Amino acid sequence: MPGYSAGNSRAARGVFSRRPPRHLEGRLESSELERFEVVVLPHLSAAYTLARYLTRNDHDAEDIVQDAYLRALKYFSGFRGEAGTSARAWLLAIVRNTAYSSRRRQRPEDFATEFDEAVHSDAVADDHPEATLLRNTAKDSVRRALDRLAPEFREVIVLRELEGLSYKEISDVAGVPVGTVMSRLSRARARLQEALREEEER
Amino acid sequence: MTHPSFEAQLDAYLDGELATGDARELEAHLAQCPECTRFRDGRLELRAAISARVPAFQASDTLRKRVRAALGVAAQARAPRRIAMRGAWRPLAIAASLAVVAVGSWRLALDRAAGETLADDVLASHIRSLMPGHLTDVPSTDQHTVKPWFNGRLDFSPPVYDFSGRGYPLLGGRLDYVDGRAVAALVYGRRQHLINQFLWPAARGPAAVSSTSTRQGYHLLHWTTADYSYWVVSDLGLPELRDFAGLLRQADSAAGAPK
Repeated sequence: MPGYSAGNSRAARGVFSRRPPRHLEGRLESSELERFEVVVLPHLSAAYTLARYLTRNDHDAEDIVQDAYLRALKYFSGFRGEAGTSARAWLLAIVRNTAYSSRRRQRPEDFATEFDEAVHSDAVADDHPEATLLRNTAKDSVRRALDRLAPEFREVIVLRELEGLSYKEISDVAGVPVGTVMSRLSRARARLQEALREEEER
Repeated sequence: MTHPSFEAQLDAYLDGELATGDARELEAHLAQCPECTRFRDGRLELRAAISARVPAFQASDTLRKRVRAALGVAAQARAPRRIAMRGAWRPLAIAASLAVVAVGSWRLALDRAAGETLADDVLASHIRSLMPGHLTDVPSTDQHTVKPWFNGRLDFSPPVYDFSGRGYPLLGGRLDYVDGRAVAALVYGRRQHLINQFLWPAARGPAAVSSTSTRQGYHLLHWTTADYSYWVVSDLGLPELRDFAGLLRQADSAAGAPK
């Protein structure tokens, strides 16, 4: 089962070899930063994955992750006790907003118009550092197709297929109703499937 | 049903997001419609292609260090203000606790505090189990492997189920230590989320206590039956966690009084 960090081989140990929860108690009760590190820092790779697919390059993705974590720390006290949201979805919502606002600053035209494949696809594929390499290997057409999708389609695929979020969580992260999540996912998949089909025909 | 809306329905079905009634209707339709079956197979193929070729990235150590350093600086900048606050609040807190005694809620407050401590315990165990190498003592998706593993390790034999058909596969079990005693911890999965279920024999007393709480982004459900005290913890959304707890309760009552 990919994604789960399951398994160790400590089956032979006895009942009392496990340390009581006490050693964590101090950690949970001490500073807010340490609590934040336990709850939010484990989702660093999830945050980076989303940022990486939204920005399509490593450098911007790392900047966005760092910004997003600083914002998350700032709002962390407001997060506790919020029902129905996982820490992961909460963080990913912040990553998404950080990515969008930074792009709006740098390239307002990306958000001013509806996505038009003829206009955007080559331009956006080019700023992916591996784009040139990928173009030469027909094998990776699915990933290239994903990179060419409009951000609102790309993000639902990443949130669902790579981050494993539920429709409700995606709707919280993307700030759209669950019905919209459902139709966007379906449209995004249809486009990716076309890419897959073209590849098979080659 | 128009075509695009049907496709979205089928996607929701494959994502396990369709309500049970709609899912059954759709399954019935799939059984007798080759075109829709082809459509479904195409989607399954796409899913396999994505999981094989579209990677989830790992954050580099450099990024991890960079983020931690930035957090440390930001937290330090805010620290002095918090200490000042704490000082200002202390007289208020004392006044508040005196008020509690004054209105005679002393006993209630004590009980609540005990319940909170237990919830803290359970949450600490859950979080620790997520740290590398702590999740399971007996990693297995087979309930008939996990259940007997507890023999001789606990003074009770915990009921173990596999809900993989409902999207909550069993991942294994381990011994844990909560509320001053050794308890059974069973680990279930839901997509990339992990669910810890803790149980131990209930103290004698009226059954049917139940509670829900949320701490640090984790949800905790607690209930007791005549035999066991149960806790379920996860970062999964509350509706799904309730769904999981419902399955457990159902399985328990179907199995009759667990031994």
